[in-house]
Amino acid sequence: MWYGFAGKLLRINLTGGEYKVEELDKNELRKYMGCTGYAARLLYQEMPGGIDPLAPEAKVVLATGAVTGTLCPSGGSYEVCYKSPLTGTWNQARSGGAFGPKLKYAGFDFVVIEGKAEEPVYVYIRDGEVEIKPAKHLWGLNVEETTNALIRELDDPEISVAAIGQAGENGVLYAALINDRGRAAGRGGIGAVFGSKNLKAVVVNGRGGIKVARPKEFAEAVEKAEQWLKNYPFGSIPSLGTVGLVSLNNSLGILPAKNFQTAHFEKADQISGELLNRKYQIKRRACYGCSFACGRYTSVGSGKFATPPMEGPEYETVDMLGPICGVADLEAIIRGNYLCNVYGLDTISTGMSIAFAMECYEKGLLTDRDTEGMPLRWGDGEVMVKLVEKIAHREGIGALLAQGVKRMAEQLGPAAEEAAIHVKGLELPAHEPRSESKVLAVQYAVSPRGGCHMHPNWASTYDFGQLDCGMKEFGMPWPPTGMQDESQQKGVAYRYVALQGEISEILGACIFYSWGTEGSCITPQLYAEIVSALTGWDVTAAELMTAAERSWTLKRCFNAREGFTRKDDKLPGRFAQAIPDGPSAGARVENLDAMLDAYYEAMGWDRQTGLPAPEKLRELGLEFAVN
Amino acid sequence: MSKVLVVDPSLCTGCHRCEMWCSLTKYGEINPSRSNVYVIRREPAVDVPVVCMQCGLCIDVCPTGALKRDGATDAVVVDENLCTGCGTCVKVCPYGVLRVDEETDVAAKCDLCSGSPACVSHCPHGALRYEDAGKAAARRREIWAVAHAVRIR
Repeated sequence: MWYGFAGKLLRINLTGGEYKVEELDKNELRKYMGCTGYAARLLYQEMPGGIDPLAPEAKVVLATGAVTGTLCPSGGSYEVCYKSPLTGTWNQARSGGAFGPKLKYAGFDFVVIEGKAEEPVYVYIRDGEVEIKPAKHLWGLNVEETTNALIRELDDPEISVAAIGQAGENGVLYAALINDRGRAAGRGGIGAVFGSKNLKAVVVNGRGGIKVARPKEFAEAVEKAEQWLKNYPFGSIPSLGTVGLVSLNNSLGILPAKNFQTAHFEKADQISGELLNRKYQIKRRACYGCSFACGRYTSVGSGKFATPPMEGPEYETVDMLGPICGVADLEAIIRGNYLCNVYGLDTISTGMSIAFAMECYEKGLLTDRDTEGMPLRWGDGEVMVKLVEKIAHREGIGALLAQGVKRMAEQLGPAAEEAAIHVKGLELPAHEPRSESKVLAVQYAVSPRGGCHMHPNWASTYDFGQLDCGMKEFGMPWPPTGMQDESQQKGVAYRYVALQGEISEILGACIFYSWGTEGSCITPQLYAEIVSALTGWDVTAAELMTAAERSWTLKRCFNAREGFTRKDDKLPGRFAQAIPDGPSAGARVENLDAMLDAYYEAMGWDRQTGLPAPEKLRELGLEFAVN
Repeated sequence: MSKVLVVDPSLCTGCHRCEMWCSLTKYGEINPSRSNVYVIRREPAVDVPVVCMQCGLCIDVCPTGALKRDGATDAVVVDENLCTGCGTCVKVCPYGVLRVDEETDVAAKCDLCSGSPACVSHCPHGALRYEDAGKAAARRREIWAVAHAVRIR
């Protein structure tokens, strides 16, 4: 009997069009707790190093966790784990919506996909039944059209569809997988991987429930979480959505603008959350099972950027299609967001690729000859929207942009290198490591998927947020030193910040609700109570921490096998230079190496190579990863 | 006067937590397809919780007399000892909020949790409320009027 989990893993080989169902091993699952932890074990052990992420042998894991689809207030996530074609590293792309919960209700915790179908297909999973169905008629359709067609074809409006659009079909290296029309497993190019496998969509629905080991105790733990979350420190997020951060971040000088040339935007009031809310918002909408409801639907009624109702744009997207490109037109941003969702594009890499092109144009590294006469000037919303179209279809200059900033810079020569804002090939998101958080600077350098603000955590919770998130009792240095401090403390603190985030990643939880303190968020201790009552496993916070460390370390080993070491844990050169103007003028990252030293040491990793020491791997039960 | 369960769809975010709480309360598991409150999420941007109006049409058609009105809450409740799972009530319910449970094989519907509905206590945004009948009637009038404003005029 399984509690909290469906207990099954589905394996699909698209090459032969075959599938099989495997029972999960409880002990092995519990070691990693589930979701991305268990997926890391699967991919590390089953996929050899050096594999081409777009080759048929490459595997993809759709992973849910214990709390996915339950009443745990943050529990609507699934994660797509794979080797990224954009970075060549480990990647995990999280998404909310209904897909994860419905996959579990359909009877599976994990789906492992490999091979390549001869012709386009989609996978239909319903109540334990699996069908691989032809999708030739869907190829070429966007995500919205595909979703509508599948609802008609399968005659079920309650299905959850995760699909690629034209961007994934065309192999854009940062194409996303979009589920439930507007929720994105966005980063790293999973859409291109689906496209390479001729896999258009995965469709799920199910009537199976999730059994609860101790229902009364579980209800009490969830009620406790509901009470605590009334004091959640980011309570303003639901009222305006994450876009509410635009005004705040701008006033603090932490709103990246013009390809990270600066950290404030003079026209921020024209793209604020308040304005979005007042003029364009249709309604607030939640992911499945989430009491927070940070999502919202917007539309633009008329004009050149007229846009039908669509999820978003979120804070990241507003900055990426807005200030990062110098654009101060909210209608253009809403239109751009819509196009990214229907074509299936990661809005962060899309915005950064456009901004990089604009900076290259400004510097004369790209000219009208490259752009078919289209001037790529900062702040031109129409150009931004046109470029989104061109990227998705790899048309004209779009073919260059579709490769992402790292490859673009390689082609445009050394002069472009300085403007290429990425780590390990992943374009940076809308958080400024110079002025927002120095722990974030460490995270950008070391995160297993490259320059990322969310995996495994939003590192700024520590020094920017001054939130311990329940980690003090595990020895996290407290209180945090000042924002600009780059002492060892920041490196040591990142160990705790990362592992606290990793707990969400192995439970299938959205990390939003994990930021706060005891009494205002879901701390590891409270997660332990919820997961114990749910699964009957009697999990402690310490066990969650160990599983998190195991998972986090194994992802590092995955990258080590791909050749990544300390030499790759670096920041773009721009961040060593001072922010030139605005409220945070003068801020820069000076001491990354010292912070990294402290971090590796705190992790039990070798300082020179940045790799987990063999004794640490043995201590964590990861003997198989010792070279 | 007993209380009434009312819905304000404009506050619903489509989170489905009411369905989960319902199934946890009734069956000790989390399973929205065994819930007696139904959240309809459709595009574009429609989220509506559909609940039993406790109208009692099902009482009259039940061939075994298994559906009765509860004296304390005025809810229409299923007597599981009398119900044969024939599904006549499902056929007649105009709101589609009756079902024959797949595991117990008897009719299942909202019984207002004996006067303390779990869905209401846990709705994060106040889209579901359990209110005095007079107040609830006023709210229904308003929602109905606003929803049909164009047609009424």
